[in-house]
Amino acid sequence: MSLLLHGLIVVVALTGWSWITPKDDPAPRSIAARLITQQEPEPSRVVEEVDEPDRDEERRREQEEQQRREEAERKAAEEQRAREEAQRLEQERERERQEAAAARKREEQRAREQEAARQKAEAEAKERERQRAEEEKRRQEEARRKAEEERRKQEEERRQREEAEKRKREEQARREAEEKRKAAERRLREQQLEALAEEADRQREAEARQQREAAAAKAREAQMMSESQKYQALIRERLSQAWYPPSSATEEMTARLQITLLPTGELQSVKLVSSSGNTAFDNSALGAVKSLSRYPIPDDRATFERYFRQFTIEFNPRRLQ
Amino acid sequence: MNISAHQKAFAMVLSLGLVAGCSSTGDTMGEDEYGSDVQAVDQDGGSTVYGGSEDGGVSSTGLTDEEMREREERAEQEAMRNITTFYFDFDTAEIKPEAREVLVAHARYLESNPNQQVRLEGHGDERGTKEYNLALGERRANAVERFLIVNGASRGQLETVSYGEEKPAVMGSNESAWAQNRRVELVFE
Amino acid sequence: MTNRTRTPRTLSAFYLVCSLLVWALVGSTTAHAELTIRITEGADAAIPVAVVPFAESGSIPTGDKISSIVQDDLTMTGEFRTLAPEKMLSLPSKRSEVYFRDWRLLGQRYVLVGELTRSGDRVQARYELFDVNREERILGESASAGINSMRTLAHHISDKVYEAITGVPGAFSTRLAYVTLQRSGSEALYRLQVSDVDGKRASIRLESDEPILSPAWSPDGKKLAYVSFETGRPAVYIHELSSGNRTRIAEFRGLNSAPAWSDDGRSLLLTLSKDGNAEIYRMDIASKDLKRLTNHWSIDTEASWDHTGNGFFFTSDRSGGPQIYHKSSEGAEPRRITFGSRYNARPRPDPEGKFVYYVHQRNGAFHIARTNLSNGEETVLTRTESDESPSVAPNGRMLIYATKQSGRSVLTVISADGGAAYSLPASEGDVREPAWSPILR
Repeated sequence: MSLLLHGLIVVVALTGWSWITPKDDPAPRSIAARLITQQEPEPSRVVEEVDEPDRDEERRREQEEQQRREEAERKAAEEQRAREEAQRLEQERERERQEAAAARKREEQRAREQEAARQKAEAEAKERERQRAEEEKRRQEEARRKAEEERRKQEEERRQREEAEKRKREEQARREAEEKRKAAERRLREQQLEALAEEADRQREAEARQQREAAAAKAREAQMMSESQKYQALIRERLSQAWYPPSSATEEMTARLQITLLPTGELQSVKLVSSSGNTAFDNSALGAVKSLSRYPIPDDRATFERYFRQFTIEFNPRRLQ
Repeated sequence: MNISAHQKAFAMVLSLGLVAGCSSTGDTMGEDEYGSDVQAVDQDGGSTVYGGSEDGGVSSTGLTDEEMREREERAEQEAMRNITTFYFDFDTAEIKPEAREVLVAHARYLESNPNQQVRLEGHGDERGTKEYNLALGERRANAVERFLIVNGASRGQLETVSYGEEKPAVMGSNESAWAQNRRVELVFE
Repeated sequence: MTNRTRTPRTLSAFYLVCSLLVWALVGSTTAHAELTIRITEGADAAIPVAVVPFAESGSIPTGDKISSIVQDDLTMTGEFRTLAPEKMLSLPSKRSEVYFRDWRLLGQRYVLVGELTRSGDRVQARYELFDVNREERILGESASAGINSMRTLAHHISDKVYEAITGVPGAFSTRLAYVTLQRSGSEALYRLQVSDVDGKRASIRLESDEPILSPAWSPDGKKLAYVSFETGRPAVYIHELSSGNRTRIAEFRGLNSAPAWSDDGRSLLLTLSKDGNAEIYRMDIASKDLKRLTNHWSIDTEASWDHTGNGFFFTSDRSGGPQIYHKSSEGAEPRRITFGSRYNARPRPDPEGKFVYYVHQRNGAFHIARTNLSNGEETVLTRTESDESPSVAPNGRMLIYATKQSGRSVLTVISADGGAAYSLPASEGDVREPAWSPILR
């Protein structure tokens, strides 16, 4: 992101820079202008790098030379330091030798004086001893304290490291666990979805099958229906032509006759199932039904059986003048 | 019939004359033309044919202007009274404007001759129902009766009767015949 | 029967059919609603009836054949068409001789057979009516009449046949009253006549050179009321047919017209104008008391009791032109019935109160029309153009009216719904003002 931003800034700066200069306009108090000032070294370098590769090379060589020189100086200094260290150690040893001689002298003196000053010396020695002991003890304690501190620090660092490590591990583990869980969940969900999808597919399939079956049945039904309707219309027409409603007929009169046909279309039987209440009317209906020597029926036996083997005819004049 | 043979004949001659006046061409005329012809009969046909100009010519000497006017008026009135049949439109009993002057003349005559009786016979054309036409014929006769009374005749002089469509003046089933049959006839007795 | 061809089927189609057959059969045993075919229209044609010439034994009067009269009666209604005897395959006179198949082949629905036997001065008719398709006898009777009443016998048989087939009593034994008019020059001759419904056996009851109008039958069929101008003015008379006795019942100033009998025969509706213009009154025949039933400056006339006997129909031009009105009682407000055209007059209700018939002008022509009183629907029944004086048969199935043929007025019978017309044989001159008698007991 920041890279992108920088890149953007660079580009903006570049462009801004490239067209600000030629135009020789006073730098507008704009973000672009500000950005240019802020990031001046970079674009200049980029430009230098792009425009003057030889100088760069020279400079690089110079730098290397410099580095070499610096390295040599650094080595010389180190050697110097080592010599000085050795010298210092020598001096130290010298001094220690001198000190030892002096000590010896002092020892001798002390031995001489020892007697004299033994009590004092003893006391002093004791005192010094004590002081030294104390000092030592203090130093030791200090050292111990420091060591302890150091240890504690290290311990603390270790602990912190370990802690961090542990946290990291734990975090890792947790993340992994989480991921695992999520994966599992996802898998589960996917499985569920798959199952659902499969189920849906199955249902679709089943529905489609059912629909296909229903459509087929319906088509068949429709075929039978249309066949049936065709023959119903034919029968209606034939009966209308054969029916002479008596002059006493009214629109309120309805005679219902149950018809049974033979597969040949011949009338097997007829039964007055509901009288109009007017004998002449009923008789006219019966006469009409019986006047057809053969009923128009479909060739298809199934359609015949379903609709025309037995059916009802209702005589009810609707358009009496 | 109570009408005297003379009067009946007279009335018939008049009405035939009227009819002839219009029906010399009437039979071949279209329905629309007939209407205007009827108007011509009612307005001027009678006066030109039966007008009193011959009498006026004979007795023109020795009369004052006033007498002349009176005489002419009387002659005119007499001429008008020769018209005794009045026609109506289909299913109406409205006296046509051209009949009014003539009916006024009749009313004046009846007024001045209180012993004169007149029978108003209402008729219809053959179209429609007989009983309704009977009532319609009576309504026409009553309309004429009222008009005469208003203009001077007295109720006692007048008698109305409707024959409906039973006594057509002209036989036939066409507009011309129907128009001549929808009428009120004044029969002086 | 139409030719039916079997189309070849594939094996799979066969299985399909088989399986569906099983399914259909299973289905049919369960609960599929049985097919119902509804017939709402009948044949728009007359019922074919074969009237077989009756067998005769003994000396049967020659002349009018019973079967011919029955044929004509049935044909007149417009509800039947008869088969000419020469087209018959056999001439049975009793059941054992009737081969239904033959009659069915001839397209006949009913067959009337019978035989006449002379016994003394009477003729006995034994006759049977068969339903060809049902192969059943629906009527069988024996009737007799004097040797001079063969027409009466024939009309009686017609009535029985008509009732057996239609469920409605026949009206062939009823009578007609009408007026004939002969003109020669200015002379007119009016004759009031009474005849059989087929116009036969007419007899003159009154002759006048002045108009005779509006004959009306008393409910017992024994009297006629009518308008006669024989005095030079219209008056209403009651005429007893058997004796010829007449009573001048109304001779008021102005109109005395349009008599109509009440159901009990005790009063008449009349149009009188004695109070100024044409109004309807009810007159008690015995006392001659009058009750005025309308009061309007317009023409109110042509009254006729409705089937209840409480209300009446009449013509009034209170709306401007003549229209049919109905008063449900003597004191009720008149209700206008007709709206279909500017001229509707002379109402005659049917005996059941379903329709009112009247003269209806349309496009300048006068027709007979009827209005269905339950829904106000108007039907023009005639195509002729100068139709007048409708009179409804007492069984409500036929209508007689006067119309013009070749410039002359004739009587025509139609079925109540405007079916086939039958014109009565024309006598000389005009035949007009028909009145159909009640059923005579």
